[in-house]
Amino acid sequence: MDRALFALAAVFVPIFPLSWVFNRTAALLPAGAQALVVLIVPQIGITLLAATFHGAPPPLSLRPWIMGLATASALLYALRALSARELSIWTRLMLCSGLAVVWLAWAAGSPGPVLRLMALGWGLPAAVALFLAGALTRRAGGAYIGLQGGLIAVMPRMTAGLVLAVLALTVTPVFPAFFMLWRGLESVPLAWLPFWLPLIFLWGWAAGRLFQDLLFGDYHGEPMADIGALSVALISVAFLVSLAVSLAGSGGASWY
Amino acid sequence: MDVESLGVWVPALPVASALFILVFLRGTHRAAARVSLSALTLSLLLAAGLLVRYLMGGGMAVIDTGGVFGSLWLDPLSLVLWAFVSGISLIVHIYSVRYMAEEPGYARFFALLDLMTGVILVMVSAANLVTLLVAWFLVGVVLYFLLGHDHRRPAAGRYAFWTQITYRFGDLPLWLAALILVHSYHSVSLPVIFARIHKAPGTELWGMPVPELTGFLLALAAFARSAQFPLHIWLPYTMDGPTPVSALMHAGIVNAGGFLFNRFAPLFEHAGWALHWTFGVGLMTALIGSGLMLMQNDIKRSLGYSTMGQMGFMVMECGLGAFPLAVFHLIAHGFFKASLFLGAGDVIGDARAHDGVPADPIYTSVVERRPAKPSRLPWLVAASLTVLVPVVVLSLSHFFVAEHLFYEQGVVVLLFFGWVTGAQALFAAHKMSQQDPWRLMLGILSSFVVVVIGYTLISHYFGQLLYPDEHESLRLYQAASIHRLSFDALVMLLAAVFVGGWALTFFAESFDFEGRLGARGRGVYLGVYALLSRELYVADVYERSSQLIVQWSRRLNVWLRWC
Repeated sequence: MDRALFALAAVFVPIFPLSWVFNRTAALLPAGAQALVVLIVPQIGITLLAATFHGAPPPLSLRPWIMGLATASALLYALRALSARELSIWTRLMLCSGLAVVWLAWAAGSPGPVLRLMALGWGLPAAVALFLAGALTRRAGGAYIGLQGGLIAVMPRMTAGLVLAVLALTVTPVFPAFFMLWRGLESVPLAWLPFWLPLIFLWGWAAGRLFQDLLFGDYHGEPMADIGALSVALISVAFLVSLAVSLAGSGGASWY
Repeated sequence: MDVESLGVWVPALPVASALFILVFLRGTHRAAARVSLSALTLSLLLAAGLLVRYLMGGGMAVIDTGGVFGSLWLDPLSLVLWAFVSGISLIVHIYSVRYMAEEPGYARFFALLDLMTGVILVMVSAANLVTLLVAWFLVGVVLYFLLGHDHRRPAAGRYAFWTQITYRFGDLPLWLAALILVHSYHSVSLPVIFARIHKAPGTELWGMPVPELTGFLLALAAFARSAQFPLHIWLPYTMDGPTPVSALMHAGIVNAGGFLFNRFAPLFEHAGWALHWTFGVGLMTALIGSGLMLMQNDIKRSLGYSTMGQMGFMVMECGLGAFPLAVFHLIAHGFFKASLFLGAGDVIGDARAHDGVPADPIYTSVVERRPAKPSRLPWLVAASLTVLVPVVVLSLSHFFVAEHLFYEQGVVVLLFFGWVTGAQALFAAHKMSQQDPWRLMLGILSSFVVVVIGYTLISHYFGQLLYPDEHESLRLYQAASIHRLSFDALVMLLAAVFVGGWALTFFAESFDFEGRLGARGRGVYLGVYALLSRELYVADVYERSSQLIVQWSRRLNVWLRWC
């Protein structure tokens, strides 16, 4: 029973190799649905994790294996994000990389509410990025960043939203993921840290490569309409809430 | 509310101004600049007021927000750097009002400048590790957007990315150091951690004392931020950003390494090997930076390499245990470099408008075509002045100001470098052909005496301000010391190298070295020149490595069908 729950959780809170199933399924859905999936499905996965081992943290003998798998999975996805140019793919790869922190924290015995906040720390900006990828696909026929040069010239509001989402996904302070990563790394043995820190570098590198194509250069595509006021309001509310959570409770980490 | 609590407003005012401009004044010009300037002026006045209050006998304070992050430490280092950073930033703001007037995104530029100022002010006063890490990280992010302000130019984006990625690399050792300190001393508060290090400096991790291990990591973080070799390549290329950003960066942001050493000074008292390493890296950076500076034909890139050389000197000073001197250096260099950058545009403009050649035909025929009559001091007099005067002036001034520090190895090395620099200046003056060489030499000598005495006095009192506990300064010098015999041998070797170099330069013409080189020698010379003109191929190595990694990433994605 535990094994089945564990395997299901590995699909819902994606960790390699079962993350492949999560990614493949998400890719088949429309962008709006993908945004909901990345918000809700990891929360279901955390419920499943809580049910494994009768609600207790994993046995001590299993912990190093889980931590090792989470580390390898996070590094693999971060490395793969470097070459992704399609916004939805990039976002899913980054999300899979970031959500590995949940496994790390779970193996270290972090309480359920912290795991849920961690999943939201990465899930919320990923949802915003996927929503914007959908908007871009509808307008340009695809969300390949860099195909038409600096999008900021024609879609400044969309670009601003995307920049914030990318920053939040790549653990930039003062977004919640930064504090969640701190909390996650604080709770694991120090020997794991040298493997986790290159992740921060890879995330920054992936974000930098995306920004290069998103922000700089002359736009040479068809004229496009920017996102509407309602979308801007929704995105603003999402980021304001996450910033408030960060500033009031260091990403929510200090409440537990 | 006590007076110290007002300190929160020093960083809060620029941050609030940035948010206000971004939300309400995005499309404006004058209003955005006015709000920004007003916030900065208030911030500077407040910072100056708090510094004066401390100088008049006020104590240190920690403003604690009660959360995991946000605590500020109002110690002498924070107060001095608050006044310096807000002062430099205000100058840059005033300069930008007209300089950026024709550029798109005027209000956004001021908002980003304000945000950068606020973040630096938080960084220099952070009282706990999380606050420091947040601010340290954010400096890199905000700088990326400032450098890439003109999004129409792909080159600006490329070089902003170089900066961002180097800064991100430098963040990693700081993360690791912070987490090791938290695990080992069970607190995020810097004053608490320093007190515990003082009590238990021998705490070990992975077979190494924690202060030594974290000292290495902190030094590495400082190297990336202060453009130390081989993490320097971003610095000379950031000139593609707007000039005010270059000024702010070279005058303030790049000095973060020196700040980090000073902030963690109580830890470095127990990290002697990390300090020796720091000295080596600083020395190498100073030599490479100054050498590459001489090869540039672009004034702004030349200033970039000059900054790299200066950062090398600053880091070297930390490696010698002269921590307050590094802060004095970064402040002096900050004002000096800001004025050079802000004036560079005018110089380039003037040079384009006037080629400097007088139109008067009499001048051209009489003055320019007539070779100057060489007139120099007798070589024995020149050599004696060059070698002896700097030693006497430097030694006497240091002996009278701080005799107790005079015998510390760090001070001896600094005096040695002072001697080399002073002698180099006198030697260069001697090489100039002048009609009245005595007058020239006298002028240089009096300037040298004034500068040395002024520098010695100011740096001494500045040191007392930053480190009121004299024992702390001594402990830092002692941590940076090496075995007496090795030290003496090293000083003698360096002295021989320098004197040999001067002799070589002095007799270069008479021995006709260039003629004696031969074809093979000239080949070597050209090879070295090519190596230096390609800036030691450091950027090429990074470029090729990153291409390889991205290639592997692409192969993995294809293999896993992008899922």
